[in-house]
Amino acid sequence: MIRRRVGEWTLVAAVFGALGALVVVPLTELAAVAAEQFPLDAAVISREVVRNTIGVGLVTAMLATLLGVGAAVLTERVVVAGRRWLRLAVLLPVLIPPFVVAMSWLRAYGPSGLIDDLVGLGFDAVLGPIGVVMVISVNAMPLAYLVCATALNTRARHDLELAARSSGASPLTMVRTITVPLLAPALLGAAALVFVLAINSFGVPAVLGTPASFDVATTQIYGDLALSAQPEAFSRAVLLATGLVMVALVFAAGAEGLLGRRRVEATAGQLLPFRHSTVSRSWIAIVAWGVAVAVVLLPLVVLILVSITRGVGVPPTPANWTLQHFREALDGRLLAALARSGLLAAVAATAAVALGGAVAAIGKRRLRGVAAVLVLLTFAVPGSTLAVAMLLSYAPTLRDTLLLILLAYLAKLWAVGHRTVAGSASNLAPDLVRAARSSGAGRVATMRTIVLPLLRPALVGGWLLVFVIAFHELTMSSLLYGPGTDTLAVAVLNLQQLGDVPVSSALAVLLTVPLLVVALPLLVLGQLPRRLLGTG
Amino acid sequence: MAVLECRGLTVRYGDVVALDSVDVSVAPGETVAVLGPSGSGKSTLLYAIAGFADLDAGEISVAGVEVASTRTAAPPEERAIGFVFQNYALWPHLTAEETVAYPLLRSGMGRAQAHEEAHRLLDSVGIAELARRKPAELSGGQQQRVGLARALARSAKLFLLDEPTAHLDAALRTAVQEEIATRTSAGSAGVVYATHDAVEALAAADRVVVLRQGRVVQVGSPVDIYERPVDRWTATLTGAVSVIEADLETEATRTVARFGSLRVAVHGAAPTGSHGELLIRPEWIVVGDTDAPSGVIKGEVGARWFRGPHTDYEVTTPVGVFTARVTGAPQFEIGERIGLTMTRAWLPPG
Repeated sequence: MIRRRVGEWTLVAAVFGALGALVVVPLTELAAVAAEQFPLDAAVISREVVRNTIGVGLVTAMLATLLGVGAAVLTERVVVAGRRWLRLAVLLPVLIPPFVVAMSWLRAYGPSGLIDDLVGLGFDAVLGPIGVVMVISVNAMPLAYLVCATALNTRARHDLELAARSSGASPLTMVRTITVPLLAPALLGAAALVFVLAINSFGVPAVLGTPASFDVATTQIYGDLALSAQPEAFSRAVLLATGLVMVALVFAAGAEGLLGRRRVEATAGQLLPFRHSTVSRSWIAIVAWGVAVAVVLLPLVVLILVSITRGVGVPPTPANWTLQHFREALDGRLLAALARSGLLAAVAATAAVALGGAVAAIGKRRLRGVAAVLVLLTFAVPGSTLAVAMLLSYAPTLRDTLLLILLAYLAKLWAVGHRTVAGSASNLAPDLVRAARSSGAGRVATMRTIVLPLLRPALVGGWLLVFVIAFHELTMSSLLYGPGTDTLAVAVLNLQQLGDVPVSSALAVLLTVPLLVVALPLLVLGQLPRRLLGTG
Repeated sequence: MAVLECRGLTVRYGDVVALDSVDVSVAPGETVAVLGPSGSGKSTLLYAIAGFADLDAGEISVAGVEVASTRTAAPPEERAIGFVFQNYALWPHLTAEETVAYPLLRSGMGRAQAHEEAHRLLDSVGIAELARRKPAELSGGQQQRVGLARALARSAKLFLLDEPTAHLDAALRTAVQEEIATRTSAGSAGVVYATHDAVEALAAADRVVVLRQGRVVQVGSPVDIYERPVDRWTATLTGAVSVIEADLETEATRTVARFGSLRVAVHGAAPTGSHGELLIRPEWIVVGDTDAPSGVIKGEVGARWFRGPHTDYEVTTPVGVFTARVTGAPQFEIGERIGLTMTRAWLPPG
């Protein structure tokens, strides 16, 4: 690690000061307010909302983990041709905001969606619990996939499976006695992570659940804080936020325990690529691609088509294409929202990477560990909870300012910046720094000529990742925005709720496609998967 | 009947030809070393035999049963083969005893009996006291022995060892080789082992197959491979060698190389002209001082390496640069002029 004695205490003070302001103060305030509310009336929380939230979490955890493990087996073990592209397709949902996927499903498969218009096949179930669970599963699948693919390559390594085969195990016996026992912790860990992600999800139930009167904790909090002025609504929001964070932290800690286990030691020598029997696997690839197209690509194309078609119900043929919705979308007010989103995301990305680097640069091992754990815990705090806590602590002074939103982003995304920088910094052999020092470079020169150049890919990757997440952020923004501080994502949600299909589609395309174009090459080059995994 | 018969094996990974028409056979009780640098196709050959890689051409029979061709391939579990993996490939969730019992259980043995037999096998490789440990609690050498015991637990006609002793110290290496030897001669099983270590291949094998870029370049006894290498590349693979251009003459039935008045018997191919490129092992060279009777090649010591039992000298002479070997500690200084003669030389074919 990078060690600096001069300024070490300044660094520690800065990191822990920021932790206090971003994490400790808001969460303490939340706990205090919740404690005031609690003895009064816990019954204001409807059983139905609790049941819906837990149900969505459990079903999504199962579905997304199944999808993820299936995709991982396909890309890591079975399909050889086009493996890279299949990986890309599986990871694609990461780069699309969940509520945009929800909107695209609604436009494609929902009642009076494009497919309903064209061939009379619309699914009412897209609105309601089934649609909510399916779309969150699509969004959570990359996470489950990355965990499973990593476990397949590091824990249930292929040579371990080959050893079973050459010990006389049939393929099924091999899976039962070797693969599954080795993968089990990862599968459970992935399911726990997906559960947390699902109960924290706000955008998808807001788009697909609320219109069908299917509410979960996050949408209830939003309804209570943003749309209601009753005092008991406020109590309920605080209590829900508190309950949500407790459940999320328990599951996140469980996942960390399962996934953070010591990996199988890296072994000497390289593994040869394993080639399976010459039986054609093309039908498996076709099925996999069919699923990828149906759940991600087709809805996205439909969303784009809707955004450039003259009106709802008109066939999306070139004759009916227009840029009119984009012109409307980019009028003064929405253009300002776009600019605010870009500014917020850029500042958040820069600050999160800097703060992450600051934690990684703490020389004292124990202090560094404490800071890292606090940062990671905050990442597991649901966005809705964090937003409520921020409101309770800072709304009196920062109400309706961008700074309030920025603080929430930083609290949430600090961990992403930290993981990317710390992961790379811990790979930096101390001898490289020692070699620079013994070559006559001072502390600063070593930093400039050796450490920073080696960390540059991690810094750039971490910055981009934070930028993408912040730019797409909806959960906290929708609770914290005020007059003149709405972000693009909030604008999309508001238009969507007003029922303006073409313009909200155009805005959703603006929110998604430019970043997709920037980030796609990163996915293709295989940089992003590792970064994402770092944030697991 | 051969325990292994491979004919014309060809394996491609995309555009890369990993194996190109390789023929290998192993007789009962025989140990064959596959020798080659990394990337020469050793592991791919073992993978193809074990059933981990499919053939693009050729066929494989184990103990007289065809197990693979381009049309059919028996799955790995149905081949009578025990495999020792280069990186051990021990299952992290199983103890040493469970690991060794695994193939026994797969063969239908009862649990109690399998564990008893596993314990016996662990004892035979000298780590019975570690039976309850998992791989993470074992050293590299101990892990290797568990992997070896697991392979031995299969009632195999053929054992495949991928760099089996690469991670073992010298004493353990001998023990492992003896264990394999007792089992193979008793059960008439054959052994193929891949290695990049020529010393090990020459010492342990009955026959050596030299692989280069997926092709077999030479098959022969260890002495053949060392003393009669097929070319300069193979010669270098198995040890130091001097490459010397010389004028050749045919005298009655034999060929000699002339270095001034020195005449050296040349073994190997019939010369195709009056000139040839000779390969000379360091120990074929006799070093004396320059006052020796006529018929020495005079040269200057350019470098020397003390290697314990002997000392190697690089000697620059008018006919070329020689590597010569003299028993014992260094006795000539760098820059000193010495005289060389040699007992023999090798003229590779082609």
